[in-house]
Amino acid sequence: MWINMGPQHPMTHGLWNLRIKVDGETIVDAEPEVGYLHRGIEKLCEDRTYTQIIPIADRLCYGSSLTWSHLYCMTVENLMGIEVPPRAEYIRVASIEMQRIASHLMWLAAYAVDLGAMIGFIYTMRDREVFIDLLQALTGSRITYNFPRIGGVAHDIPPNFERDSLRACDYMEKKLKEYEDLFDGSKVFMMRNQGVGVFRKEDAMNLGVTGPPLRGSGVKYDLRKDMPYSVYPEMDFEPATHPDCDCYARYRVRMDEMYESCRIIRQAVQKMPKGKWRTVAPRNAPSGTGLGRVEDPRGEGMMYVVGDGTDRPYRLKIRSPIFVTVSAAKKMLVGYKVADVVAIMGGLDMCIGETDR
Amino acid sequence: MNLYEFCYGIIHWLVDLINHLWYWLGSWLPWWFGDFFDAAGDLAASHGNIVVFTILLEVLVILIIAVVNVLNFIWIDRKFMGRMFDFYGPYYVGYRIGGWLQNIADGIKLFVKEIITPAKADKIGFYLGPVIFVSSSFLALSTIPLGRNFGIATNPSGLGVPASALMAFAFFAIAPFAILISGWSSNNKYTLIGGMRSAAQMMSYEIPMLLTVASVFLLAGSFDFMDIVSAQHDIWFAIPLALGFLIFLVCLVAEVEIQPFDLPEAEAELVEGWTTEYSGMRFGFFMMTSYLRGYIGGALATALFLGGWHGPSLIPEPIWFLIKAYIVFVVIEWMRWSTPRVRVDQLLNIGWNRLMPLAMLNLLIAASMKTMGWF
Amino acid sequence: MAPKKRQSTFGFVLRPMRRTGGQVWESLIVGKPNTVLYPYQKLDLPPTYRGKHTLDFKRCIGCGNCVQICPNDCMWMEKLEDPELGKIERPGVDMGRCLFCGFCVEVCPTVAIHETVEFELADGDRERIKFGPKELRDDAYSDKIVEERQKRSVPVLDLDKCTGCEKCAGECPEICIAMMPIESVGRSKPEIALPKCTACGKCVVECPEKALTMKDMYESYFEMPEPKFILKNCTGCSACAKACPADAIYMMEMPGTEKLLKDGKKSKPKKRAVFVLEKCVGCGKCFRACKFNSIEMPGVKK
Repeated sequence: MWINMGPQHPMTHGLWNLRIKVDGETIVDAEPEVGYLHRGIEKLCEDRTYTQIIPIADRLCYGSSLTWSHLYCMTVENLMGIEVPPRAEYIRVASIEMQRIASHLMWLAAYAVDLGAMIGFIYTMRDREVFIDLLQALTGSRITYNFPRIGGVAHDIPPNFERDSLRACDYMEKKLKEYEDLFDGSKVFMMRNQGVGVFRKEDAMNLGVTGPPLRGSGVKYDLRKDMPYSVYPEMDFEPATHPDCDCYARYRVRMDEMYESCRIIRQAVQKMPKGKWRTVAPRNAPSGTGLGRVEDPRGEGMMYVVGDGTDRPYRLKIRSPIFVTVSAAKKMLVGYKVADVVAIMGGLDMCIGETDR
Repeated sequence: MNLYEFCYGIIHWLVDLINHLWYWLGSWLPWWFGDFFDAAGDLAASHGNIVVFTILLEVLVILIIAVVNVLNFIWIDRKFMGRMFDFYGPYYVGYRIGGWLQNIADGIKLFVKEIITPAKADKIGFYLGPVIFVSSSFLALSTIPLGRNFGIATNPSGLGVPASALMAFAFFAIAPFAILISGWSSNNKYTLIGGMRSAAQMMSYEIPMLLTVASVFLLAGSFDFMDIVSAQHDIWFAIPLALGFLIFLVCLVAEVEIQPFDLPEAEAELVEGWTTEYSGMRFGFFMMTSYLRGYIGGALATALFLGGWHGPSLIPEPIWFLIKAYIVFVVIEWMRWSTPRVRVDQLLNIGWNRLMPLAMLNLLIAASMKTMGWF
Repeated sequence: MAPKKRQSTFGFVLRPMRRTGGQVWESLIVGKPNTVLYPYQKLDLPPTYRGKHTLDFKRCIGCGNCVQICPNDCMWMEKLEDPELGKIERPGVDMGRCLFCGFCVEVCPTVAIHETVEFELADGDRERIKFGPKELRDDAYSDKIVEERQKRSVPVLDLDKCTGCEKCAGECPEICIAMMPIESVGRSKPEIALPKCTACGKCVVECPEKALTMKDMYESYFEMPEPKFILKNCTGCSACAKACPADAIYMMEMPGTEKLLKDGKKSKPKKRAVFVLEKCVGCGKCFRACKFNSIEMPGVKK
């Protein structure tokens, strides 16, 4: 019997459909259906100038929007051959890591409330406010920031930014220990997560999965270390991995990534050089192609732009990490109970905005 | 003075007053009405009649106490939950008294909502489900005495049941029937699953609970609440039977469907569980009864394990009983919001594989204490 | 990496309960909960917050750059009659479509449009949140805020007064002024290379006709399109000069183009448009005004 979970369902975050075939309570087959949120972003971008696309790239994944607009600016800078001033690079890295923490906290909120612990939702949203307030003081907006520009960032850091970010990192590390008591130390949470949704290393690598699902299966692959971009070569951090391949491993990888992000923010904010934060970008792009790859909180994001000499791109192609990871749902779900669907699909951190574009 | 005697006195005084008025009216009427009037007056003032009205008054008293306690519980739940979640809880309605009137506002809102019955639902089952649920819970409440002189259906007050604790648990356990009937007659796949899961959960946690309660009966030597509470006058049963107390609390949480065991009710898969198709005040009845069963559980835990109404005699006994019941409730609420939900097969695993052997062990401990003559 | 915690039977409820109990202690007894009782208490927003727009009528030149750069087509230009400023064109914003991206603020050449921290814009009717220029007008806003865009002083040329005497080019210490000949007019005009200019002010002092003045210009990080002039098609109608909001186009006579009329008199010489591109803001109004295809602006729509 095929059951439809979605497209309107309290569990599925975003608008997608999961069809599972059940035999009693055990899942025998699974088929995800995406495409309900297709907005035609790649087509929209063909009629707008390079600068006008930046707010559109923000709205690709509204959970972590700075990553996508930064990726777009990197791609166009690759096409036009522009050098970004070093101060702008440091500001970009600091803001991206803050966005990574905010995105992981939102994932944790949704995950906790699906498992039944509403306390997790409230605490993580409260702590996410700290970072959203920092980003609001920096960029002027709370969720879709419109902050990176082609050739740098929009404006300089506000006064007291360094003091506030260091305070926020200290606060976050204290709260992460509290989350460990709430989640890792709770036997009920472990009962629902350990041994559930085992996803072997070979399957992960063969299916092209990237991000925390891959690192939770023991593969040490992080684009910030393996193909570094921006000023990541000068930052000292360790990509987080975990050898168990179950839901608990994916949860643990994301919590460790938050620790590492705090480290990176501290280094970026303290090492920031003085100077310009923006250069003037040419209006017309040369004919050619540009490529950008970035480590999104959900995996590897990639953009490919084709310029044709005018001030509008000829083609913009977006590679979304969740689009690839959701195709691995069948391998993760078969053999488990219907009540485990929540834990397994929640652990993938689906953001349908980037999946359907 | 007993609650029964108190209510008897009030009704007697009232009936006397009405009788005086009645005879005075009768003196104005012509002679052929006279006999009929006198006979009616005598019937009204007879002992049987006054007893009937006394029982009705006692029922009113228990209803008011129960409803006020439920309103208090909901208020404490929301305020305590609010402070745990770092916000205020109900704040504006009833601003000066901390938002207590929010419950009344919610009740009025539920009254004015439209009551929808699904077209293909089984009408009799759909109507009767809430009725059985609510009435069995109130019946269970009536057998628990709040003080030495404050019992309603207890034996010393006259016209009570001899084995009140056993009757309380019997009434408490009717609930799975009501849930199954409601879930099935809603004509909805998901409510049926919710109802089945709820019935399975409640049934599997009845057994350790009753085994634990059996150990209390063993130590106290009787099935009656009055005897159980008076057997605790020098030491509460929670101290020798600590294991039993903990098992009782866990089973209580599972019976009342509170997290971490609220699988049938608020799961991410099933929208609201077995109460999905109910709207308006019917849904309000289910919510109220859920908190009422929480109150009953707290009252049972207090009466059986925490010494009932024994305490320093500055505060009257019923208040002391209620304070202890509230403390049990607050501890359960604290536990409720701290943990995630348990999956259904793990839930049944805990009930049958872990709690039942522990309950047997508890019974052994109680039996050994009894044979050694400590109680 | 954090160490793995050991869960015993206490981990069932007791360890999380310690944290939630600590939170109750903090919100109830030690301090207050973390709630802002909106609408009785409001949050303080940082000044960079992007909310409702305000428009300074006096600074705005009506160029329409904001309307063109808006990614979602939420702005329009409205023709108004103002008692002090005369016939002007000012922009209005449709808040229902606005993305609050802030591009209009960044591209404005005179920093006339700002975004305030007002965010309570909800209304029951879509028509009421389309704010015309009169509703957005606030001429004193620029004095209240700390300006973020950098200003620099640059010399600005008034071509009507210039005689082509070349004194400014000779006196400039950085050699940033070059005299470029104007085709068919027989004169040259000074072109100032703005990246090299240090704003010393010598050219302004030396000019005998006072054709150069020092004005404050705001730095713009956007490269705006530049118009290209095709002399062949120009008829001298001066539509572009009237349309330009920044006074960057001057009509000059071309000597040697007088025609002999029927009654023996000579007609006036033909005029052509001359562009002073340092003043150009890239709005494209000249491009749209010219009906004879003598101005080319790649990338701008008609």
